[in-house]
Amino acid sequence: MRALALVLMLSAMAAPARAEPAGCGAPAELLDAQPMPGLIRAAGRGTPLRALVIGSASVTGPGGTGPAAAWPSRFATLLGMRLQPSEVTVEVQGGRGLAVADHVRLLAEWLPRLRPQLVIWQVGTIEAARGVPRDEFAEALRNGLAAARAAGAEVVLMDPQFSRFLRANADVEAYRDTMRLMAAAAGAQVFSRWSIMLGWAESDRLDLERAPRARRTALTDELNDCLARALVEFVLDGMAEVRR
Amino acid sequence: MTVPLPPESLVRQGRDLRVDLLRGIALWLIFVDHTPGNLLGWVTLRNLAFCDATEFFVLLAGYGAGLAYGGMAEREGWAIAAARVLGRVFTLYVSHIFLFVLLTAQVGFSAAALEQTTYLDELMLDPFANEPYRAMLEALLLRYQPAFLDILPMYIVMLALFAPALALVGRPGVLLLLSAALYVAARAFGLTLPSWTGSGWHFNPFAWQFLFVIGVVLARLPSELLGRRFPWRWWIAALVVVVLAGIAVALNLVWHAPALGFEPPALLADAFWRVDKTSLHPARLVSALMIVWLLVHLVPPTARWVGGRGAAPFVLMGQQGLAVFCAGIFLSFLGRLAIEASSGLPMQLAVNFAGLGALILVAAISAWYGRGGRRRTPASLPSATPPATA
Repeated sequence: MRALALVLMLSAMAAPARAEPAGCGAPAELLDAQPMPGLIRAAGRGTPLRALVIGSASVTGPGGTGPAAAWPSRFATLLGMRLQPSEVTVEVQGGRGLAVADHVRLLAEWLPRLRPQLVIWQVGTIEAARGVPRDEFAEALRNGLAAARAAGAEVVLMDPQFSRFLRANADVEAYRDTMRLMAAAAGAQVFSRWSIMLGWAESDRLDLERAPRARRTALTDELNDCLARALVEFVLDGMAEVRR
Repeated sequence: MTVPLPPESLVRQGRDLRVDLLRGIALWLIFVDHTPGNLLGWVTLRNLAFCDATEFFVLLAGYGAGLAYGGMAEREGWAIAAARVLGRVFTLYVSHIFLFVLLTAQVGFSAAALEQTTYLDELMLDPFANEPYRAMLEALLLRYQPAFLDILPMYIVMLALFAPALALVGRPGVLLLLSAALYVAARAFGLTLPSWTGSGWHFNPFAWQFLFVIGVVLARLPSELLGRRFPWRWWIAALVVVVLAGIAVALNLVWHAPALGFEPPALLADAFWRVDKTSLHPARLVSALMIVWLLVHLVPPTARWVGGRGAAPFVLMGQQGLAVFCAGIFLSFLGRLAIEASSGLPMQLAVNFAGLGALILVAAISAWYGRGGRRRTPASLPSATPPATA
């Protein structure tokens, strides 16, 4: 099983050889970022780029082969390869069932300790599913974003994973709207995992919900890898925007 | 699928058909907005304004209640009218519980049909899996309201509040003042009803009742008086159009401009997130009233097309409000299952055509049946819409 997963993962990593656009073919407009000057300054100093990842279960890569295959560590590895000789380190804080208020507490704890240049904050899924009042959600996002921006970090909000089940049974769009608003108000950005995964599902590129059980672990790893690749393109675009 | 009679022959005449038309459109939009993944959902009002179909549904529910029960209170006394209102409240409650049971079945079906355990198991989307008896009790107490099943509970409480308020129906000024006071108190002190999860209701009935009462008062005041109070002025209309268009542009700028590569002003975004739907932010309230003012003046009561063949299906839907609303929510469950299975263009077209067609059919059957029922046992059907003689 593990071997199969590894083979599939390797074939997924070799995907660019099949001339797929960078970021596993995620639409280019979803990988366009606003300038991220904070990352350029960090890269210029020659010290490792420190990224803090905050989120709920998906940061630990449930359903895959383990944390090493989850998107945060794949992201650090892939971005490190692209930014050589600069190094990229990632601190992952989060877990199953942690919602926005917990994330804000984690930010308060880890921002001063790590002083990250980049914060990736995955949020919105649990809130939408539980129907957390939107003004509470907005208020918590506002506090967390303000703290991260005040600490000098570039902030990328990552919205929920696309899922037909979630789409049908929770008012996801309303929460995504709130995330867009709060990001715009705080000078942060939104990496739309939802739209990217929707594209993959509709083009049959990657569709976890319809995957046969036997392939699910491998596909989960591939999904995490592809999300990391798309996120790397997004962040590199944000860095390139500064130079433009 | 043949309708026993053409829709226009089922339309009840002798009333302001513009109200029914607008209500019918609102009911249709509620169906569309309750079918996530529906591409039509991207062009409904909520993408262009602070308010959406909910505001119009509530305002027109108030208008209908004002006509029907207000008139009844004046003719037959407060007690009878209030008892009728409570009967209606019970009908709404039973409808809500019925829809709740259907929704629970749909969620269960979806969960089984799609593999979601790997990454949605943490979500508590299905409290029935964890605490079935508690969930059922909380649903009966209206403290557990799943997503998209939150309008009827608000309507139930608003109508229950309306029963005692009927005593004031002859004094619209006092009614409006008390209602405004409750609205302000609800917003200022966070006065609301509790939900199972520890927060308040998705729609705070103590805030939304204000819009309902505005509808009641609009129905009670003579139209000449309203015409004098809120006359047509070109410069006001121009101002309203500019404000509404400005909001539409600004909203879309904040939502979508970052993805297109330019940054909207942070100030705008910082102002917009405060516009809450839960307690009917004044910006939503004012937007809805501005749109109504514009529509009332742009579409005169004498407009021929409102009574014509094209508008008839929507007028009919508006006249059969509760049946169409419940059918719309039920159909949106089916729509979700369909869009879950495939979200391509053929399915989008099928869901929207079948959905609208079924809503019209439900309205036609309800109107046809209601007419028969009314002939046999007069006034046996409590209705938020006025009797045909109004």
